[in-house]
This record gives sequence, structure tokens and C-alpha cells, in this order.
Amino acid sequence: MASTDKPDHRESIKSEEALAAPPRRSNYFSVHVALRVLLFAASVTAVVVMVTAKQTEIVPVPVFPFRAPLEAKFSDSPAFIYFISALSVAGLYGILTTLVSIVLKPAHETRFLLHFALLDVLMLGIVASATGAAGGVAYIGLKGNSHVGWVKVCNVYDKFCQHVGSSIAVALFASVLLVLFTMLSVFSIYRKIPK
Amino acid sequence: MESQNKASLPVMDGLERRVASRSEGGRTCDLLLRVLGLVLTLAAAIVLGVNKQTKVVPIKILDTLPEINLPVSAKWHYLPAFTYSVASNAIACSYAALSLALAVSGKKGMMSIVVVLDLLMVAMLFSSNGAALAIGLMGYKGNSHVRWTKVCNVFGRFCNQVAVSISLSLLGSISFLLLVGITSLRLLKKSK
Repeated sequence: MASTDKPDHRESIKSEEALAAPPRRSNYFSVHVALRVLLFAASVTAVVVMVTAKQTEIVPVPVFPFRAPLEAKFSDSPAFIYFISALSVAGLYGILTTLVSIVLKPAHETRFLLHFALLDVLMLGIVASATGAAGGVAYIGLKGNSHVGWVKVCNVYDKFCQHVGSSIAVALFASVLLVLFTMLSVFSIYRKIPK
Repeated sequence: MESQNKASLPVMDGLERRVASRSEGGRTCDLLLRVLGLVLTLAAAIVLGVNKQTKVVPIKILDTLPEINLPVSAKWHYLPAFTYSVASNAIACSYAALSLALAVSGKKGMMSIVVVLDLLMVAMLFSSNGAALAIGLMGYKGNSHVRWTKVCNVFGRFCNQVAVSISLSLLGSISFLLLVGITSLRLLKKSK
């Protein structure tokens, strides 16, 4: 009687372990897809907020009328144009990888993990450089620079500066997400090493 | 039986040697990229750190008085973007030296921390590159909409040195990027 009880006990333990393993994998998978959708959303938000930054103010002008309305928009500075193009590329990358992750489920993941890791690092470089460029120009617009003679702009165009500042903050969040993604991909490859 | 065992040994040796040489090749590439990153970021930090130019500019206040010669100087720490660039290049250079020492000594447990820090260095270097490039372009061309005058027609050598430093830093950040790529490639080959 005791000898027939033990194999049943061992079988029930094995079936419990087999049931426990798949839900963990699908949890990681859904978190992965959700984070990629979040990356796409953050990039699109940053682009939209920067494009809609527009303000018209009356400023002193050195020629006759001495006061004229002048509009500030994102195309005034090439750094902001680069920022918008880089972040729209990142948004396109986000939605492409979301589709690829959903269509190709974990069966083929090992081969695509390397591609994801390399592309994630490349995208991180692009988004980080765009954030840095826009941040540098916005900082001068905020504080001015007395040594070079560049006057500050944000005391006059306050709404424009708020739009630009929040867009840069969202882009910073997107680059942090990309760092997280690369770490996830590299550690998934690392975990598959047979010990 | 004994002859069969003796014949199987050289084959096993060859396989082990091939696997070892592949991992050795990856390890050599890793060390080479770290040395390259160290040298390039060090050069970029130094080139921008010693950047200084003084020029005597004639300024005319009134038509009757003679021109006053005023010395104006351009230093790298007048612009916060260049300060950020020098700081991030210096941090990346010291990190490259530290990780080179770790990689040469061959400790296995540190690898995850090294990968994470490599990634953070990539992000920091690329953002400082973008900032310095944007400010340099602004100084080169000026911006008519905001009425920021260009500076590089007066300080030519300063702007040239800034351009050299940015290109060196760009090459250094690309080598850090390749480091992350090669680490993941090595991990993939080990997992197969």
C-alpha cells in the first residue's frame, strides 16, 4: 500500500510543476508587449507635443515698427527638427517590434532576441542623441548665455517653452524604456545558457 | 579498444580547441573595443578640455573716438553643453579603464554589472554628443529667428577644436555600442 502511494505523490508534484511553468512565461510575454506599446505611445506623444508648440508674441524689432508679432514654432531650430524625426523613427520601431513580438510567439524567440537587442541599442543611441540636442538648445533658451551674447527666450514665450520642456521629458522616459528593453533582451539570452 | 580511445582523443582536442579559439576571438575583440573606447573618449575629453581662444576685437563706440581694442575670449566652460560633454567623456574613459581591468583579470561574476554599465555609458555618451553638436551648429550658423548671432566667424580655431572633439567622442560612443552588440553575440553563441 505504501509503495503504490509514493509514485502517485511524485506524479502529482511533477504535474503541479508543469502547470506552474507556462503562466510565468506568458506573464513575461505580456509585460514585454505592453512595454513596447508604451514605448510607441511615449514617442508619438513627444512628437505631437513638440509639433503643436506654437506661440505668437509681440517683440521689439530693430527696424521701423519697433514692435512686431513674431511666432515661435518648432521649425525655428534644426535641433528640434532632428528631435522630431528621430522620435518618429523610434515610434515606428516601437510599433514594428510590437507586431513582430505578437506574431512570432516565444517559439522562435532565441533567434530574434539578438536582433531585438542590437536594434534596441541602436535606437537608444538615436533617441538619446535627439534628447540631448533638444535639451541643450532648450536650456540656452531657458537661461540664455551672457558670454556669447545669446538672450533667453522663455520669459517671453512661456507656453512654447512649457511644451518643449514636457516633450523632452517624455523623450527621456522613452530612452529609459529603451535601456530597460536592451537589458531584458540581453538577460533573456543569458538565461538560456545551459548550466 | 585502446586504439579507438587513442584515436578519439585528438578529435576531442580539435573540437575543444575550436570552441576555445572562438571564445578567445570574442574575448580579444571585447578587450580591443574597450581599449579603443578608452583612447577615443580620453582624446575627446582632453581636446575639448584645453580649448581656449582669445581674440582682440576692435569695437567702435563713437565715430570721432578711435577704435577700442577689446580682448574677448572663448573658453569651453562658458557653455554648459560643452561642460556636460567633457564630464561624460571623462566618466566614460574612467569606466573603460575600470572594465578593462575587470575583463583582463577574468572574473565571471561581474559580467551582468559590466553589461548594464556599458549600456548606460552608451546612452550618456550619445546624449552628450547630441547636445555638443546642437550647440556647435548654433555657434556655426546662428539662429535668425531668436536672434542668436554666430560665433565661429570670430573664433575659428575654437570651433575647429570643438568639431574634432565631437567626432572623436562619436567614434568612442560607437565603439561602446559595438561592445554591447558583441557581448550579446557572445552570449548567444554560448547558449547554442
